Amino acid sequence: MAHSNLGYWGLVVVIGLAVGGCAPSATPKPEGASSSASGSKSPAGQQSGAGQGSGTKESATAPGSLDALQKGQSTATPASSPLKDVFFDYDSYGLRADARQVLKANADWLKQNPSARVEVEGHCDERGTSEYNLALGAKRAQSAKDYLATLGIAGDRLSTISYGEEIQVCKQANEDCWRQNRRARFVTMPSRPAS
Amino acid sequence: MMQKIMLMLSFLVFYPGFAGAQFKGEIVGQGGQKFPIAVSPLKNLGTTPDGAKLSEGLADTMAYDLDLSGWFKVLDRSAYIEHPQSTGITLGAFDFKDWSAIGAEGLVKGGFSVQGDEVTVELRLFDVYQNKERIGKRYTGKVKDYRRIAHKFVDEIVNQFTGVPGIFNSRLTYVSTSGGRFKEIHVSHLDGTEKFQVTNNRTINLSPSWTPDGRAVLYSSFKDRVQTLFLFELYSGKEIKFSPHAGRLISGKVSPDGKSVAATLESGGNSNLYLLDLNGNVIRKLTEETGIAVSPSWSPDGRQIVYVSDRAGSPQIYVLDVAGGKSRRLTYSGGYNTSPEWSPKGDRVVYTGRVGSRFAIFSISGDGGDPRKLTSESSDSEDPTWSPDGRFIAFSSNRAGKYQLYIMQATGENQRRLTGSGGDDTKPSWSPRLD
Repeated sequence: MAHSNLGYWGLVVVIGLAVGGCAPSATPKPEGASSSASGSKSPAGQQSGAGQGSGTKESATAPGSLDALQKGQSTATPASSPLKDVFFDYDSYGLRADARQVLKANADWLKQNPSARVEVEGHCDERGTSEYNLALGAKRAQSAKDYLATLGIAGDRLSTISYGEEIQVCKQANEDCWRQNRRARFVTMPSRPAS
Repeated sequence: MMQKIMLMLSFLVFYPGFAGAQFKGEIVGQGGQKFPIAVSPLKNLGTTPDGAKLSEGLADTMAYDLDLSGWFKVLDRSAYIEHPQSTGITLGAFDFKDWSAIGAEGLVKGGFSVQGDEVTVELRLFDVYQNKERIGKRYTGKVKDYRRIAHKFVDEIVNQFTGVPGIFNSRLTYVSTSGGRFKEIHVSHLDGTEKFQVTNNRTINLSPSWTPDGRAVLYSSFKDRVQTLFLFELYSGKEIKFSPHAGRLISGKVSPDGKSVAATLESGGNSNLYLLDLNGNVIRKLTEETGIAVSPSWSPDGRQIVYVSDRAGSPQIYVLDVAGGKSRRLTYSGGYNTSPEWSPKGDRVVYTGRVGSRFAIFSISGDGGDPRKLTSESSDSEDPTWSPDGRFIAFSSNRAGKYQLYIMQATGENQRRLTGSGGDDTKPSWSPRLD
């Protein structure tokens, strides 16, 4: 390196420079601000209703957890959602009896709504490393998807994604909250257009 | 007789390597205490009216680094006797008695002059006992970069004592929520200045790490909905997106030779280590787990990768031989061990382990053996990263409430908070030394 390279910093092309960390209170983002992240191409929620299955009525498609996080909305599965969450033990991706019950009910709904496509989200509680938890969340999502396959749900209707410990539905450091976060969540996606 | 012993002891301190190979790197003053050093405000050798800012700013920066190292006791400036602007800065031009009187064993003095937007700085380290000059340096740079000069000189001071330069001219990259709800990637100088935000995409950004030349940061992001890796060049603003044919990239680390990336690719629920090129194309698969293999970190010679696997039923640390493909288990105590990083010295691996319901930082020899716990489990300490000289560890801890970044010596001593922010600061990664 040249000897007088102390001016290198001046060559930095600033992308998205923000003065961070000086004031203790960062400017709060207004609740429900709809400025989506650049590059985020999620159509979820904007085409809901188009081509949805007949029969069973369902509430408007709730956004997936990342979309909800970005919009400042609740990341919990709404009580009105026809597809319920399944829960897991600590550091485990095995399906308990209660989880299998929920998956059976979810499979029934999916059979009654044959054009519905679902993203299975895997989540973890906040303990441990984010990387390990991203892998564990993937295991949880896959566990749920594999079980749904044994119940006759075609794999191409289900995508999986892991958010690890990154999107929590509650923040307390206790087992009651941790238990709620160790979940797989089922988010209906817009149907594919007819080819 | 006392005089002779004191002279001998200061001889021991100032001549590197004397303390013996196993204690190399240790700096001690009389009676095993921290080495007392005075850092005088610098003398304005020119006519710039901005003098006070540089005079004190340069001294403050050096004092901060020396203090942060845990090796030095920086003597309080309010006790200094001489007037820096009217006293000389070279041998013979000032009185050592002004400094021995306040207990200094070492003394940093110097001067500066400003020409336009450039500054020239002279700095000297003096041995107060022997009335000698140990280091004399002259630096030139932009006025606004004056702190870099101070950091470089402290690195020289450490080199003088230990034979290995210090690490105070370096950076950290880390994740911060800045008090909001999005995890973004930040870079700052080790002293918290020169803050720069690599991402501002209002999604989830994680696991930043450096290329070995310190010019780019590799990180994972959900900004394109599917989690993958991005390689961001700091000085050009260019970014390469890694696009695997299938699956998601959870994290990655660039190899010590800068030519490849060890990354975790998750596909079909299974997470394995892969070797990728710098465009994100798969060179080969490194592990064959039907479970989880994550968090790779390279040994400094690039021949081994330490990582986390759950093949034993819970997350433990393993070492992969890159050429041969075989893995051996490193951690046998504790039920949950993750986040390993191999020391740049090649000897030890630092990691996070669960103790009861909390997480603490441990180090263990790369050959295995008994781990050493470095932090208290009365709160959580996680995400350890080594300094480029392998003598310090930076980490994230919630001991004061929100997660902040901390530094400690590799022995676990002298744990200090680095500058905090309004939000949770996690996952620090320490850069190589800057030029």
